[in-house]
Amino acid sequence: MKVHVESWDPTYGSAFEPGEPSPGPSQATTSRVEIGVELPPDAWRPLLPPEQVRPPATVLLIDGVRRIDGRIWVEDSDGTHPGVAASYAAGVVRCDLQAGVAEVIVTRVERGLFTSSTRVGDLVAATGAVYRPHRVSRPEPMDLQQAVQRRMRELEMTVAAEARSRDSGGDDLLVVDGPLHGRTHLDRTVGYIKTHRTEYLPPALAAVVTSLPAGHRSPVFLLGTSWDRYAWYLRLPGAPGSPWAGVVRVECTADVSRSVAIQLADISTVTLPRFASAAYKDPRAPQNLVPISGLERRLRSLLGDARLLNRALRAAVAG
Amino acid sequence: MSEPVGRVLGTEDATPLTFWVAVRPGTYLQLDDVVATTRHVPGHDPVTIAGVVTQVRARHEGAQFDSDVFLISDGTLPAQVQEAAEITTTRVDPEVYVPPLPGTVVRRAVDDERATALHFDRMERTLPVGLGRDGQPVFLNADFLDGTRGAHVSISGISGVATKTSFATWLLYSAFHSGAFGAEAVNTKALIFNVKGEDLLLLDHANNRLNEDTREAYTKLGLPARPFSSVAVFAPPRPGDPDGTADVACRSYGVNSFYWTIAEFCSEKLLPFLFADADDDRQQYTMVVHQVAARLAREAEPKEDGAALIDGELVRSFEELVDLITDRLTNEETRGQWAGSAVGLGTVNAFIRRLVAAKRDLSRLIRGDLPARRAHAISTEGGAQLTVVDLHNLPDRAQRFVVGVTLRAEFERKERSGTARPLLFVVLDELNKYAPREGTSPIKDVLLDIAERGRSLGVILIGAQQTASEVERRIVANSAIRVVGRLDAAEAARPEYGYLPPAQRQRAVLAKPGTMFVAQPDIPVPLVVEFPFPAWATRPSERGEPSTPPPRTSVSGADPFAVIGAASATASDDEFPF
Repeated sequence: MKVHVESWDPTYGSAFEPGEPSPGPSQATTSRVEIGVELPPDAWRPLLPPEQVRPPATVLLIDGVRRIDGRIWVEDSDGTHPGVAASYAAGVVRCDLQAGVAEVIVTRVERGLFTSSTRVGDLVAATGAVYRPHRVSRPEPMDLQQAVQRRMRELEMTVAAEARSRDSGGDDLLVVDGPLHGRTHLDRTVGYIKTHRTEYLPPALAAVVTSLPAGHRSPVFLLGTSWDRYAWYLRLPGAPGSPWAGVVRVECTADVSRSVAIQLADISTVTLPRFASAAYKDPRAPQNLVPISGLERRLRSLLGDARLLNRALRAAVAG
Repeated sequence: MSEPVGRVLGTEDATPLTFWVAVRPGTYLQLDDVVATTRHVPGHDPVTIAGVVTQVRARHEGAQFDSDVFLISDGTLPAQVQEAAEITTTRVDPEVYVPPLPGTVVRRAVDDERATALHFDRMERTLPVGLGRDGQPVFLNADFLDGTRGAHVSISGISGVATKTSFATWLLYSAFHSGAFGAEAVNTKALIFNVKGEDLLLLDHANNRLNEDTREAYTKLGLPARPFSSVAVFAPPRPGDPDGTADVACRSYGVNSFYWTIAEFCSEKLLPFLFADADDDRQQYTMVVHQVAARLAREAEPKEDGAALIDGELVRSFEELVDLITDRLTNEETRGQWAGSAVGLGTVNAFIRRLVAAKRDLSRLIRGDLPARRAHAISTEGGAQLTVVDLHNLPDRAQRFVVGVTLRAEFERKERSGTARPLLFVVLDELNKYAPREGTSPIKDVLLDIAERGRSLGVILIGAQQTASEVERRIVANSAIRVVGRLDAAEAARPEYGYLPPAQRQRAVLAKPGTMFVAQPDIPVPLVVEFPFPAWATRPSERGEPSTPPPRTSVSGADPFAVIGAASATASDDEFPF
């Protein structure tokens, strides 16, 4: 068995990677949407949380980053298998809103070798970084990509559980960057979706969303695709722009009662706007939350230097 | 093993001469702390790289924009505070100049390691010079003070806050009491010129503001907290006082008035010292100065009370002397003899103008109206260890005259004695006035002589000035030890202070009184010291107990044992002794 590392920079092979989608929805939905969870469709209007709703004492935000360090080929008795050597990391920021302290409390970095080969073992790069093998059923570039993404999501769940086990105060809110898919078992957790690919609401109700003032949310609705969840739209403060500027979708598990979901929606509406980023600091403002971008920076630095790792990988397979 | 304080960081270049250390959370490094780190180099013993902290910084890691600090303190943006310290290497041992490797543990240097880092271990004789910021004593190599390997001290700083004179007296105190000079310390003398107030006239009185903390500092430095034990004070006579009593307000005993008799003025050719630029070759009248001085030396005949008979006239005061010279120079017949033959009238008038201007300033210092046997000369030869010459009441021209003549006399005396020991320290403030960078003068010549030959003759100059950039370069260059107190910002930027690293230059601008930057040849980085509050009174309001009880009689300078007919420079044979 032999492993080769492509001499090309791994970023060149990424033409198939889906580009960063535009913030507005571009496809119509095919999923099941139940509008009248909170308000009947004809009563839809921008909602402001009741006065007494206060943000939780602490907010935990979870995010992960990933990077392809090298594209590889594994030669074994079955033939050659394409694959990727990737580094990915996940971490948790704990924002103590009362004490005014934001700190990264948990970080995990892993490196993996994603191929369809069954025989490949650990790949130890010259710097000491260990790439553990993960088997991918189909070696299509998109599948490899998704396999890495999946591993990163799993890692996110690990750190989330770890963070929760440390912080058992109860008065907190866990914000997961991205859809909540497969992570619905955690309490007091919302998924935070920055971009809108699909138009879930009928045009009349979508107009309510696009007319949301900053700090307001839409009523809660139930969204059913391959899995069910409650969802609501929320507009973050920011410079006015396109109709969907500053609008994010927040979702929570459908396993809770409607009133709990509405309560979560209110809490998220009073909590999240404070984390909105400023346009001159973040190209994805205001949706890319400040703690998340700080966490991402930290995680990226933990991934290590890409060129160094690529060099180390090549040195390892050559040696 | 001393406590680890951090690791060499790798995001800044580490070089053998400077490197940065990331400070571990929970610990700290401050400016001037001494640290050490070790590197293993194949084929050598482990290399210990030691240095002092010359800069410290703290920053938010993870912040990109200045305004991120608000997000961080609001608790929305995660960031880490990281402190880092710049280390300037003072010693690499053994001398293998390799950089410390990033990641290497850096430890605080204490005890022996600190002494090694600051080269104290190689100093045979040490002089405590103050406490470092870490509260530990900092030493001066006595070899570079007493002329063994170097001599002279140059102290710079703004007046008032730089505490230059206090530091100079502190240095003397340390030299006398530290034991660095052994038995010789007892015979070591010092000559101090007091130029501001009556600040230095009470060096033998305890300071009544001395508190326990100060005493403790003295104990730490291994010195007793006492005033100077043996001080003689010379002060000019009171103006207009026919008895010539010393013009001093704050002490009533142990003060001698000093002056020169007309006869001495003539025979010792002191005239050039009246003129600040007398040796400047561009000035025509300097020729006249030397002609007249020579003529006076030749003509003057000592008479009673220090008066002199010159050219047939009895001269009893400086005014009379000036009048006589003016008369001889304006008189067509005598001008040739007094001024020389080829001198124009304009030049002679230039001389007269300057001489007349000096008349008022010097009349009380050059006189012939007091008993000749009365002691009136400034000399360090007496019993006192410390000789203070008070100049603060004198006008500028008179100050120059006194300093120039006194230094020349002392220097010549040391020259004649032919031995460097015991040492004579000379403390002179406002050196830029006496030895300016531009021009020449007799007094500058004397100072240059001291700077260049004093080391072998045992005359050590402790010069102080506001601006080293305005002092003759050769004097500053000859100083082995350079000390800087608070500096003016513009002055700190001048090349004369190139020995201060940039961070220290910045700090010198805000150094508080009592903090000095001491550069000595042994140590590549100037050390910052705080010297203790003086244990002696530095102004009348601080006066405490005198170190020796006042004598029963308040007249001390007169010589009651002068033997009848004893050879005296001013007493002529026909003078009746009583």
